[in-house]
Amino acid sequence: MITGVLSPEELTQKAFERTNFGKVDAVIVVVYLLLSLCIGLMVKRYAGSMENYIGAGRKIGPWLGVATMTGTELGLVTVMYSAQKGFTGGFAAFHIAVIAGVATLFVGLTGFIVGPLRRMKVLTIPEYYETRFNKPIRVLGGILLVFAGVLNMGLFLKVGSMFIVGVTGIASDGEALKWVMVGLLVLVLIYTTLGGMISVILTDYVQFVVLSFGLLIGTGLAVWKLGWSKIFDGTRQVLGESGFDPTIAEGGFGWSYVFWMIITAGLIGSAVWPTAVSRALTMESEKAVRKQYCWSSISFAVRFLFPYFWGICALVFIHFHPIGQDMKLLFFPVDESVEPLSNLYAMPMVMARILPPVLLGIVTAGMIAAFMSTHDSYFLTWSSVITQDIVAPLRKKEFSTKARVRLTRFCIVLMGGYVLYWSVFYQGREDIWDYMAVTGGIYFTGAFVVLMLGVYWKRTSSLGALLGLCSGLLMLFGLEPIQKAVGLKYQDEQGEWIEILSSPQIGLITVGIAIVLTVLGSLIRPDKPKEVKA
Amino acid sequence: MTWELFWRIVLVGVVAAFAIMSVLVTVLGARDIGKLLKGLKEDEEE
Repeated sequence: MITGVLSPEELTQKAFERTNFGKVDAVIVVVYLLLSLCIGLMVKRYAGSMENYIGAGRKIGPWLGVATMTGTELGLVTVMYSAQKGFTGGFAAFHIAVIAGVATLFVGLTGFIVGPLRRMKVLTIPEYYETRFNKPIRVLGGILLVFAGVLNMGLFLKVGSMFIVGVTGIASDGEALKWVMVGLLVLVLIYTTLGGMISVILTDYVQFVVLSFGLLIGTGLAVWKLGWSKIFDGTRQVLGESGFDPTIAEGGFGWSYVFWMIITAGLIGSAVWPTAVSRALTMESEKAVRKQYCWSSISFAVRFLFPYFWGICALVFIHFHPIGQDMKLLFFPVDESVEPLSNLYAMPMVMARILPPVLLGIVTAGMIAAFMSTHDSYFLTWSSVITQDIVAPLRKKEFSTKARVRLTRFCIVLMGGYVLYWSVFYQGREDIWDYMAVTGGIYFTGAFVVLMLGVYWKRTSSLGALLGLCSGLLMLFGLEPIQKAVGLKYQDEQGEWIEILSSPQIGLITVGIAIVLTVLGSLIRPDKPKEVKA
Repeated sequence: MTWELFWRIVLVGVVAAFAIMSVLVTVLGARDIGKLLKGLKEDEEE
């Protein structure tokens, strides 16, 4: 009856406004953010040397290491996209969480890649390239890493803002949202530039405590409100068997997707992705690194599993719960001419109705902390790569510690400006997941192969490393506009889009090509004996 | 074993493991922070 009176925009606005988020929750969030700022200011005096600034003096114990690893990897962007995956793929998406957990445990038990890196006492992956190969490979690796990494995080602020809109009900097109984003960014920039890795690690610990208990209580409440059996039965009613079986390609996954996840969410996510590796390299010993990874395997599974489950709960809530019926019209409109609301909003909107005040404030504070901790880690990782692995090796004059810290801080602020510009002023396409997978893949497909072969195959040469790293650029063919331009995706006579190769298939092929080129390059032009350094 | 039963077991197992880990990390992580700050302070004094 109401739908006949209100326009789709008004219906959307009404749905956003039905949130339990109140003043007390806002106070909790503000207090939490101020606490983070205070930590940054308190530890500023310890951040004098470069080793302390980007590596916390390599004094991180294993339990604090687990907290900071979880704090970094359980980012709000991951939570949002994982919830979306659970919303569309159901329990079948759980296979990614299992793969991530098992792969991280494997790295912890064997020390795969990270063990040798820690033994070499390098602080960044490109630093390893110079130790193992030569300076040009370090600079090239650094450039590719920063290019992919900075592009990759370009949309974080936008996605984070979508969560805040969904939970708090702030109008998505209003000025308030922009100011919230500016405020959050300024806060991150202040405590990251002041305290470096030390403040990042301490705030990660606080975030871990807040978010872990918030997630556990929130999940318990969601089960209590919806009913344990209803969640499974409802998923089967909406998605059928493909909501449980990840090998069914029609459900959005399939075998090639599963294999692609073994590489990306599994081995790369834990052993190659720089923000995770940079944590490993700050640990006090290799033993501590391996212990950190063994325990973090639970976190690596949880960071996907909890959001998937919340996405599934959102799906069931919207389809079957009386309070969620107004949202069903937004996400699954009966009228085909009406554009459905982005399903990224589903999880935060449902959470805002399921969780009571105070708990909602705690979980929101934890999520905003997750948003901030991802930003600070990424800012610090990419800017330290620019300083240590691109600028410093190219400089012929002495590069003092003070100048390095100053340049790193400058790069952090510069990246903050870029992220703000991208999120607030740039109207990019909505399909952000593909964008992120492809931009990340430019770096990690080549780096995975070069690191793996560099560590475990003595004959890997500088030419092989060069070819392996550059082959990651093939991931650009995973981008939809490029796929269309080169005919990898085309429209048939009925107007249906036909995809010759999916993004996971292109990723697997790229990894295969990187292996072949690295091996061929190494065999064709081996390094001279004196050039072999490790 | 069906996929549904498998995911039920995975969900319960992972949530239980995470609950135990959260308590351990909260308590022992605080101890590590103490050690970290002490070490940094000593370096600063040297």
